[in-house]
Amino acid sequence: MTNEFVILTHRLTKSYGHCEAVRELDLSIGRNRITAFLGRNGAGKSTTIKMLLGLIRPTAGSGEVLGRQITDAEQNRKMRKRVAYVAEDKPLYGYMTVEQTIDFARSFYSDWRMDVEKKLLLDFELPANRKVKSLSKGMRTKLALLLAFARRPDLLILDESSEGLDPVGIEYLLRTLVSCSAEGVSIFFSSHQIAEVERVADHICILEKGSLLMDASVDQLRQSYRRIDIVFSASPPEHDFRISGVESIKTDGHQMRVFASRNAEAVVERAQELSAVSVEIAPVGLRDVFLETVGEN
Amino acid sequence: MLWYKAWLETRSRFLVSLATLTIFSSIFFHHALYISCLNTLPCPEKITRSERVSEFHRLLFINQQYVVIMWILAVVLLGMGGMVREKALGTSSLTLTLPVSRARLMRVRVATGVFQAIALGVVPWLAVLIISSRARMPISVAQVGFYMLLLVGGGLVYFAMAVLVSSLVSGEYTAPALAFGAILLGAMLFDNWLRRFNVWRLVTGDFSIDRNTFLLSKHLPWPGILASLCAAALMLLASVIAVQRKEF
Repeated sequence: MTNEFVILTHRLTKSYGHCEAVRELDLSIGRNRITAFLGRNGAGKSTTIKMLLGLIRPTAGSGEVLGRQITDAEQNRKMRKRVAYVAEDKPLYGYMTVEQTIDFARSFYSDWRMDVEKKLLLDFELPANRKVKSLSKGMRTKLALLLAFARRPDLLILDESSEGLDPVGIEYLLRTLVSCSAEGVSIFFSSHQIAEVERVADHICILEKGSLLMDASVDQLRQSYRRIDIVFSASPPEHDFRISGVESIKTDGHQMRVFASRNAEAVVERAQELSAVSVEIAPVGLRDVFLETVGEN
Repeated sequence: MLWYKAWLETRSRFLVSLATLTIFSSIFFHHALYISCLNTLPCPEKITRSERVSEFHRLLFINQQYVVIMWILAVVLLGMGGMVREKALGTSSLTLTLPVSRARLMRVRVATGVFQAIALGVVPWLAVLIISSRARMPISVAQVGFYMLLLVGGGLVYFAMAVLVSSLVSGEYTAPALAFGAILLGAMLFDNWLRRFNVWRLVTGDFSIDRNTFLLSKHLPWPGILASLCAAALMLLASVIAVQRKEF
């Protein structure tokens, strides 16, 4: 394990009986990056995160977070000192007040950032003396985020962190993620909100049925993924376009839509060779990439 | 702060139990003073002083039976909760991602419970001691100490069993129901076939009481207390191992 990666897994597998929630996952999450972990519900994202944090044990394979083995209890404990985690359901102790929750969390980290705590308490308008169980979902999310941001983690793991936040809260979260990243914090987050991911992430991992389908930088996606709309005078010769880099082809009458992860120029050339009436090439957004990748699979 | 968390989680159960046990013992002791005619109230002349003292000690012994029942109820409820329950409530991922080992989490929880169980055994009898000295009918500190030791030393096995059950079963009602069921079943089975090893009889003082004077004997049943403490330690160790192996 080099210093280059904050998360590294090798053939990481988690099975529940005959069902494989995560299948031979090889993840390499780079340092000082904002990496989005995408996938449909049940794709294995939360299971992977739980394995990384030692909440569940892998059935097979191995993994390291910040250079420490995830399956070794003591190494995992030391690793958790440097990792902040916000779980999907924002677990907090309902019997504690906001202030007690913050005091409790602060006691475990010697490098707690009081300035950040005070700023977020004000910005999030969290009522210090109110019991957590009486807070709204959005307020609970804000408190969970405060507990994560007020630390000085090397790695921030967020699982559906924007769920329950209003648009202002989401905006604040995204800005905070970017500023944390600028301070040297590596961020690994799962989300279903593609627009948010597209705004902040610089690397994308797509998981489907427990397997990694895509591991690429956002710049790489923007440069190489293209949608090519082609119109023919007769029925489109779909089989002629099954070339390397073409992920999917959809035909509708005389029209054909080709989705290519690379080699878009070759598709255009082929269309011109086959006397296409019109050829339009357009870049695609992350949403289309996600839908095509997951849908094709 | 783990201690603080454990305290916040159990304080209402503990304080209600402590108040109930203390108030009950105080009222029962007042009642014992009254019906054994050892206070200032008039008493039928036919009853001798020694008979009255004996009756008073019999009532103290009965007090211990009631205290034991309530104490067991309280410590079983105090033993509920923990990581498995937190999993059902959804807070386990917060607790387990703290930089703290599962063994330490369990140690703090068990230690908090043991301190509370000791307080629940000691405070009601201390209240009895205070009331008796105020009523100018002081009872023997040795006798009260004997009752306390039997209750806490012998009875911690009930708390340990509750911790073990709550480390295996997550249901809010299932876990205490199972624990109480096991206690009842255990008491019945031991009473029928292994009476000498019945913890219930050990804790209530049934093995140590003199049926004429209703005073506890001078010798503590150390083998029984130590065996009970060993069983409690084994159950707690099993609980730690169960939580360490469990997936959350």
